[in-house]
Amino acid sequence: MRCGEFHTTYASDMGIFDTRRARWVLGAFMVALFAVPSFATSYWMDVANRAGIAVIAAMGLNILTGFTGQISLGNAAFLAVGAYTTAFLAGHGMPFVVACPVSGIVTALAGMVFGIPSLRLKGLYLAMATLAAHFIVEFAASHWDAVTGGVAGVSIPSPRILGFDFSDDRSLFFLIIPICIAGLYFAKNLFRTRVGKAFVAIRDQDISAEVMGVDVFRYKLLSFAVSSFYVGVAGSLLAYQARIISPENFPLGVAIDHLGMIIIGGLGSVLGSVLGAIFLTLLPEILRLANSAAAGSFPGLIQLFTPLKLAVFGLTIVLFLIFEPDGLADLWRRIRNWFRLYPFSY
Amino acid sequence: MKLIRSALLFLCLAAAARAQEIKVGGIFDLTGITSDVGKPYAQGVRDGVAWTNENGGINGKKIRLIDVDYGYKIPEAVAAYKRMTGDEKVIMINGWGTGDTEGLKAQVNQDKIPYVSASFSAHLTDPSKTPYNFFVGPSYSDDLRAWLTWVKEDWKDKQGKPKVAFFYGDNAYGKSPIEAGRRFCKDNGIDLVDEEIVPGAFQDATSQLLNMKQKGADYGYINVTTTGVSTILRDAKKLGLATKFGSNPYGFGESLPQIAKEAADGVTGIMVDVPFGENVPGMKRLVDFHKKNHPDDTHDTFYVRGWTYVLVWTEALKRADKAGHLTGEGVKAAMETLRDFDLGGLTTNVTYTPTDHRPTTKVNIYQIQNGKLVKVKQYEMERRPDWLGL
Amino acid sequence: MEFFLQLTLNGLVVGSIYSLVALGFVIIYKSSGILNFAQGEFLLLGAYVFLAITSQANVPTLPALALTFAFATLLGLVLERVVLRPLIGEPIISVIMVTLGLSSVLRAIVQGIWGTDTRPVHAVFSLDPIQIGPLPVARGYLYSAASVAVLLVLLTLFFKYARPGIAMRATAASQQVSLSMGISVRRIFALSWSIAAVVSAAGGVLLATMRGGVDGSLAVLGLKVLPVVIVGGLDSIGGAILGGLLVGVLENLAGGYLDPVFGGGVKEVAPFVALVLILMVKPYGLFGKVRIERV
Repeated sequence: MRCGEFHTTYASDMGIFDTRRARWVLGAFMVALFAVPSFATSYWMDVANRAGIAVIAAMGLNILTGFTGQISLGNAAFLAVGAYTTAFLAGHGMPFVVACPVSGIVTALAGMVFGIPSLRLKGLYLAMATLAAHFIVEFAASHWDAVTGGVAGVSIPSPRILGFDFSDDRSLFFLIIPICIAGLYFAKNLFRTRVGKAFVAIRDQDISAEVMGVDVFRYKLLSFAVSSFYVGVAGSLLAYQARIISPENFPLGVAIDHLGMIIIGGLGSVLGSVLGAIFLTLLPEILRLANSAAAGSFPGLIQLFTPLKLAVFGLTIVLFLIFEPDGLADLWRRIRNWFRLYPFSY
Repeated sequence: MKLIRSALLFLCLAAAARAQEIKVGGIFDLTGITSDVGKPYAQGVRDGVAWTNENGGINGKKIRLIDVDYGYKIPEAVAAYKRMTGDEKVIMINGWGTGDTEGLKAQVNQDKIPYVSASFSAHLTDPSKTPYNFFVGPSYSDDLRAWLTWVKEDWKDKQGKPKVAFFYGDNAYGKSPIEAGRRFCKDNGIDLVDEEIVPGAFQDATSQLLNMKQKGADYGYINVTTTGVSTILRDAKKLGLATKFGSNPYGFGESLPQIAKEAADGVTGIMVDVPFGENVPGMKRLVDFHKKNHPDDTHDTFYVRGWTYVLVWTEALKRADKAGHLTGEGVKAAMETLRDFDLGGLTTNVTYTPTDHRPTTKVNIYQIQNGKLVKVKQYEMERRPDWLGL
Repeated sequence: MEFFLQLTLNGLVVGSIYSLVALGFVIIYKSSGILNFAQGEFLLLGAYVFLAITSQANVPTLPALALTFAFATLLGLVLERVVLRPLIGEPIISVIMVTLGLSSVLRAIVQGIWGTDTRPVHAVFSLDPIQIGPLPVARGYLYSAASVAVLLVLLTLFFKYARPGIAMRATAASQQVSLSMGISVRRIFALSWSIAAVVSAAGGVLLATMRGGVDGSLAVLGLKVLPVVIVGGLDSIGGAILGGLLVGVLENLAGGYLDPVFGGGVKEVAPFVALVLILMVKPYGLFGKVRIERV
């Protein structure tokens, strides 16, 4: 009977998995995950893919905001940069294996440009600068018609790898989820390295970090770059999944959604990004199901669905911030620990 | 035992009823930037469907409308479309906006889903490119051409060419007829002096109007929905401008004089459908349904528009059902058999052929006189082959 | 030249509304350090309440205005108590998110009650413009400019001479010292939220009467005003007023001269471009207080 966690070496303390059982559980979960397409309907595959993309984007934002402490309201803009880069490249015949990583790199560069003000700006003022970035990118997306197709949008061919055509959501799932897992694995490891520790140091106290020998500006820019790379890849996948993108895919609401995901999931937690993104992607779907079930008896409800969605979103965030400020990840940890030591927890 | 038997019977009946159902998707804007006109339209479609179901349905089969509010956002419309075709297996869709309809046109063609939408964009009229897209009324481009023709007549006794400005929203809907308008001006001796773009939702159009004033426009065509039209009219009035304004079928209706008040006087606009309550043969069933089900609601021309759409596509469903082809392809083919189909005066008669999806080219111009909508003129635009799809 | 003058004049009067809304932001930020992203929704709610009181209950304009302000005061008090107080001392991101969450809840309430149609408002001032020299100016904007001027004077006097005003300044300077001097910081926070709500409601009513109708798009102003407060500096009342006028003029000039070149949209994005440029040079805005950080 285990009654606690005892590490005897530094290596085990740094390990990703506490126990061998955790490894097995995760493995079983992955198998179950890849079995989803065999029974889910095509619409739920669409939802699953959107959740996968949201996980990558939220992970990216969490690196910047949760781990490095730089508040960004520009996530929708970075998503747009990635998506439009993919649309441009794919439109010029580039295959997926080129377009997707290049979109990530282009977005990373864009992120670094918008990260430059972070040298001088902090807190609210930085949030405002990224908000400005959002509106500037939105302006470019709707007026640079040659690349973005303007307000009418641009369509993207389905991705192909080695002649296999990922044309529907069921096949795209096998493209999106592995990329998602790889991204999470990288992030989990990033925070075991010097770079990741430097990010956290900057978040906790940037002046102290500088005194301790962390080049603050360099690491802030690096954080913007890594974060934007994730978001750019998410944007690229979003373009391939939606097949038609327009500036309306990237409203400020998306950036707020992503912030909501990491708040609800847990700031500065890889698991939190996953849980938060899945939670906030599923929430409107579940609401919609409940709403259409109830709409049979109350026809007026369909009109109220949009305000209802808004209210639930807002309330969820407010309630989490007041009552569960560390998010789902912390809730999950507490539940797990309670069961792990059951019945000897006290 | 009796209970179980009756429960079983009920289940069987329910299953039978379900089998006799025809599923139709409805993608509406109830909360987005065009909800001012989208909501009455959606209400019209729903009431039209309910009325059809009460009056025999589609040869005895009931229609089930699966409707969704997409808030005028293209991504939401794409998601709704995926859900309707993937999970609900609808036979056809009654859609709404120009941006989403044009965005989905390749997809509906691939899936063979007839897509009857409230967008009158002329880009949807060429069956060689968009075989599954339909709408009920003259195209935005023909509306603008007809209005420009009216401008020429209105200007007849004055010297020089009339100077015209276009105001349009920064979206696919706003931009749809602009190219057609530019060409028409060029070919017909009208000076297009200015084009002003307004954002989706805006509080203030003063700088745009000042630009227009500087260019000296005598006429202005506003291609946004009623709320935006009202803002522009009121701002023009505040600046004391003398420009004569006109608007398209979604910018002009009973609500315009109510919001814009005195600024709306003298404004011209295109009406595709008659105002609610107009004395035409087809209006009786609308008024009766209104009295029976929601006598306290007010209705307008956009509500009538919803009805005309249902009347057109239910006729196609009936014809497809009779022919035994109740499929997407069958409904499309049945739509294309409609010739001079009579809508009881609610709107002009419509015709669809396999080579031309322009339902009609007759355009009615109304004017607001003392807060009332008065019909001033009907024009019939040419069915020129080079205007197909433009 | 006339075109330039007309644009500038128009920018100034539109800017006066921005100043008014920006004042709400600054008052809250000054005392509690919170940037309230729900300000646009305060404005929206104020406009709708005014509308409901005048058109549904048929109350004349002035008492309706008083009732609207009473409602706004209450709204500010309740929100501060229920939502914001638990977050005192939490990181900035939490505070930003809570006001963002609040804004969607408020918007949902408005949509749920009043729907999304544009509701006509009784005309308060006539649409005929007033001529200033050769330039016509909208009547409503002049009223708004006048009320901004009045509010500015009132607020300045309030912060200079009234006890609560002085207490608010003290709280902004140092919460700990104020507490030990016997100032109830909680009451100060509550006061600043209700003042901000009233100022926003005033802005909402002015905008609604000028447009002749109310709909959800009024809340956009909450976002439009952000560059104003940042350019002026988050904690400067004078900065908010000047920033509002600057942004109004900038917007109109950009709309007048650049929109035709770029095909629209510059008017909306110009304030944000200016925001980035100003922040690069002056990281705390033009008039904001520079914070010296110590470990």
